[in-house]
Amino acid sequence: MDPAPRAPATLVDLLDRVLDRGLVINADIIICLAGVPLIGLNLRAALAGVETMARHGVMTEWDRSIRARIRAPEAMAPALAPAAAGNPQARSARSGG
Amino acid sequence: MQSGELELRPGAGEASQARGLYVYCVAPGSEETGLGPVGLDGRPVHTLACEGLCALVHDCSAQPYQSRDPEVVAAWVLAHHHVVEAAWKRWGTVLPLTFNTIIRAEQGDAEEALTGWLKEQREALTVKLKALAGKSEYAVQVFWDSALVAKLVTESCPEIRKLGQEMASKPRGLAYMYGQQLERLLAREMEALATERCQAVYGCLSRWTDNVRLEKLTRGEDGRRMLINLSCLVPRERCAALKSELDQVGNRAGYSVRLAGPLPPYSFC
Repeated sequence: MDPAPRAPATLVDLLDRVLDRGLVINADIIICLAGVPLIGLNLRAALAGVETMARHGVMTEWDRSIRARIRAPEAMAPALAPAAAGNPQARSARSGG
Repeated sequence: MQSGELELRPGAGEASQARGLYVYCVAPGSEETGLGPVGLDGRPVHTLACEGLCALVHDCSAQPYQSRDPEVVAAWVLAHHHVVEAAWKRWGTVLPLTFNTIIRAEQGDAEEALTGWLKEQREALTVKLKALAGKSEYAVQVFWDSALVAKLVTESCPEIRKLGQEMASKPRGLAYMYGQQLERLLAREMEALATERCQAVYGCLSRWTDNVRLEKLTRGEDGRRMLINLSCLVPRERCAALKSELDQVGNRAGYSVRLAGPLPPYSFC
């Protein structure tokens, strides 16, 4: 169904998409987000550093634990596992890489 | 890192604070169901359904999530993604909302405000959901090995070869000038090749994608240069064709390709 093996998404792939993309609700039922510039800035800076530091053996543990968390959504969403198992995409999403 | 200062976790809000709803995504389902403690900071996530659509939410106080601690933000981003991804797999399609979308309840309650919004926007949301059904987002990056491509360009460009041969027979001072000229010529040829390759990749990908978004180039690792960085919206049945097209690009000497996904359609809603 979805045979092509491919790499799993990384935190870098997710960061911009989750923080800056997605539907924006334009209605006054939303709390004002104007005061939230900090979210992700330090993380982006840290990630840029991690790439360099990981090559020198620094922060490899942090890097590994973050990667492990990306690969383990089942553990975090047990309620959804049966539904996901019935969908061919559920498997392929983590089979790559 | 000063993680304690300026950290706001609305999930842990006191009872006195206004109640809010953190919204992850909208899905085409009408079940009222709980998904367990899978939200930000392990908050229990449930659906709020209205007329054939549902929003995945958790209860929180009406404050944005804020933290200076990269680990905390990373955990939030991952939790947000895992909820959106789980809903995407369960309902086949979703409209992900941007991080920190929190519905407040000024009058009445946040549930009413959100179901009111779902009702009001029902038609527009349904059209968007239909347009994204059966499609996934992929991150596509093409890199080249700068040293290897430089070598290949040097070998294949007659003008560069000729300059190189002339340089070899010149005295040191003059050879230096030739070297400078050669470098400029090589840089120009490589830029032209990079542009040509980018256009070719973009052209062939557009056959297999419904929508393509150009992303910022980032620095490649290990002497690799990123030539093109794209987000692609791909119908499920065309994923294999896209992959094999990219394999052909990656099989060229000096080139490598990264195809990551499938992801919920974050960049296309």
